Amino acid sequence: MTSSANGSALIEIKDLHKGYGPNIQVLKGLNIEMMPGDRVVVIGPSGGGKSTLLRVVMGLEQIQGGEVRFGGKPYIRADGRKTIIDNDVRKQIGMVFQHYTLFPHLSIMENLILAPRKVHGESRASARERGAKILERFGLGNKADAYPSQLSGGQKQRVAIARALMLDPKLMLFDEVTSALDPELVAEVEQVILNLAGQGMPMMMVTHDMWFAKNVASRVIFCASGVVVEDGPPEQVLGNPREERTREFINRVFHIRA
Amino acid sequence: MDMTLDFSILGRFVDAFALGLWTTIKLTLLCIVLGTTLGFVVGLLRSGTNTVIRAVLGFYVELFRGTPVLIQLFWIFFCLPLILGVELSNFVSATIALTLYMGAITSETFRASLRSVGREQLDACVALGLPRRAQVMNVIMPQAVLRAAPTLLSNAISLFKESALVSAVGMADLMFIGQNISNNTARPVEVLTAVAAIYFVIAFPLTRVVTLLEQKLLRKFSA
Amino acid sequence: MEYQLDIGAVTRNMGPLFQGLWITLQLTLAANAIGIVAGFALALLTTSKPAVLRWPAMLFVEFFRCTPAIVQIVWFFYCVPMIFNVFWGPIFMGIVALGLNLTAFNAEAYRASIQAVPREHLDAGIALGLSPTQRILNIVLPQALRNSVPVLLTNGIGIFQQSALVAIVGVADLMYQGKTLATATYRPIETFTVVALMYFAISYPVGQFVNWLERRQSYT
Repeated sequence: MTSSANGSALIEIKDLHKGYGPNIQVLKGLNIEMMPGDRVVVIGPSGGGKSTLLRVVMGLEQIQGGEVRFGGKPYIRADGRKTIIDNDVRKQIGMVFQHYTLFPHLSIMENLILAPRKVHGESRASARERGAKILERFGLGNKADAYPSQLSGGQKQRVAIARALMLDPKLMLFDEVTSALDPELVAEVEQVILNLAGQGMPMMMVTHDMWFAKNVASRVIFCASGVVVEDGPPEQVLGNPREERTREFINRVFHIRA
Repeated sequence: MDMTLDFSILGRFVDAFALGLWTTIKLTLLCIVLGTTLGFVVGLLRSGTNTVIRAVLGFYVELFRGTPVLIQLFWIFFCLPLILGVELSNFVSATIALTLYMGAITSETFRASLRSVGREQLDACVALGLPRRAQVMNVIMPQAVLRAAPTLLSNAISLFKESALVSAVGMADLMFIGQNISNNTARPVEVLTAVAAIYFVIAFPLTRVVTLLEQKLLRKFSA
Repeated sequence: MEYQLDIGAVTRNMGPLFQGLWITLQLTLAANAIGIVAGFALALLTTSKPAVLRWPAMLFVEFFRCTPAIVQIVWFFYCVPMIFNVFWGPIFMGIVALGLNLTAFNAEAYRASIQAVPREHLDAGIALGLSPTQRILNIVLPQALRNSVPVLLTNGIGIFQQSALVAIVGVADLMYQGKTLATATYRPIETFTVVALMYFAISYPVGQFVNWLERRQSYT
C-alpha cells in the first residue's frame, strides 16, 4: 500500500524545532516524509513530542525552526520569531482530539454543518443532507438533534470524526482519540478509523494502543526526545525494531500489556 | 417582653406596599436591562487589546466594585447634578447609579465566562478552519453567554436587594414606604418584618432557579 | 457650572473622617471575627444529617442571603430592642447585625468548600482506617478551610462596604461622618469623592490580594 518515492510527498516535515519557553525543547530537528497513501502511526514515550507534532501539522502551534510542506507546496515555516501558516492549506487537514471538543451548545447536526457553511459557504440544506448521510454511515442517524452531553464518549468521538470529514480533508490527524474513552467504547471508534483507512484516507495518528497501531498503520514512526528514532513498516518497528531505543520501548509496552 | 404583636395592622397598608414594591421592581428591571447591556460591552472591551480602553474601564469596574453602593448613590444623587448643572429626578439618579453598579459587576461575569471557554474549543475552531468571525459569533460568544447565565441571574438578585438603598436618598421604594409606615404606626416589628418577608419571597425562589440553572449548565458543558 | 471645587474644605476636616474610618474598621474586624467563627459552626449545621439542626440553620442562611442588608440593619436596630428588651450601644448593635449577615454568607462559603472535598478522599480515609472524627479533622477540615479562604476574604471586604449602611441608623462611621461633613460644608463633591476613595483604598488592595491567592490556588 505504501506509495513509493516516485510519487510526490503529501507532507514533508523538515528539521522541525518546537519549544515552550527558552528551556523546554519538545521537537529538536524532526524529519518526516509522508506519502499520499500512508497511514502513519506515531508511537513513543510520553513527553516525546508526539502530540506536539500533530498539533504543529494542524497549524495550532508556533514553531521555532524548520518547515512543513503539503502536497509539494509551502505550508508552515518559521520566519524569525513568527510562524507563517498558509490558511488555505490548513483547511485541507482535519483533526480529532483526545477530548472530543464538540461544541456543547450546538446539536450534533449543527456541529457538523457549522464549518462547511462558514468555511466553504455551503448552503444549510446541502450541508444537512451530507451530514445526515455521514451520521447514518457512522450509526448515528438518530442522533442528529441530540446535544453532545447526551452522547456516550464513543458516540461523541465518532461525531468529532464525522465533523472533520464534512470538510473533505486530504489528511486526517488523530491525537490519542481513544485515550479518554472507557475500554468498552474504544472498539466502535477504532472501527470507524479502520473503515476510513480501508477507503484510502491518508492519516497520521498518535495512539497508545499497539494492537490498533498494528492494524491501521502502513508505517510506524518511533519518536523520542523530539526526534524520529525509527521509521518503517509496522512489522519492523513493532515486531523487530532495528534501533535499541525502539526495542526497549516496545518490550516495555508489550510487557505491560501482556 | 410586654409588647403584643398585631400583624393585622398591615392590612391597612396593602396599597402602599404594592406601590413601593412596584417602584422597586420597575427600577430593578430597568437597571438589569441597562446594566447588563453595559456590562456586556465593558466585559468585551476589557477582553480586547486596546490598553487605554482596558485601563479606563478597569478603573471604572474596580471603583464600583470597591466602594459601598450607598456612597455611589449619594455621589450620583448629590454630586452629579452639580457637575452637570441640571436637576435629575430621583428615579433618573437611581437608575444611573444602579446601572453603573450593575454594569461593573456583570462585566466581570461576562469576562470570566469568556475566559472559561476552554482553549480546546479554540483548537477545534482552528482545526475546522473557521474564520475568526465565526469562531467568535458561533462558538465563543454563545457559550460565554450561556455560561454567564446563572451568575447574571445572581447579579440581578443582588441588584434587587441593593435597590433598597435608594430609600436612603428619599426614593419611595418598598423599603422607604415600609420605614415610613413603621415610623407612623410605631409598629416596626410587624411592618419591617413584612418588608423583609416581601423581599425574601421574591429573592428566594430566584436563588433556587440559579442553582437549577447551574446544575443544568454543568451537565451540558461536561461534554 | 457654578460649583467651584475646593478640596481644602475636606482636607481641613480629615479628623472626623478618620474617626469615622476607625469606627468602620472596628465594625468590619469585629463582624469578621464573628462571621469566620460562627459561619463555620453554622456550615456544620447546614451540612449535618438531623433535619432539626439543618432546617433552622438553612433558614437563617437563606434569610440573610435573600433580603437586602439595609432591611436587616434597620430591622435589627428597631426591632431587637423591642422584642428582646435589650439596649446595646449603637456600635455593638452594628457589630452584631453585620456579624450575623456575614455569618450567613460565610456559612455558604464553608459549606461549598466542605462539599467540594472529593468523596474519594473520604473513601481513602475509610480505607486507611481513620475514624469518622479523624476523617473530618484531618481530611475534610484542612482542605475546606484552605479552599474557602478567598471567598471568606471577599465576603470580609464585602461587609466592610456594607458597613456603610449603619450610617442610616446613626452609627458615626465613615459614611456617616462623610454625610455630616458634606452637609455642614456644602461640599458634597469633594467630600463624597474623598470618602469613596477612602473605601476604595482599603477594598482594592484586599481584592487584588484575593485575585492573587485564587490564581495561586488554581495552579496547585
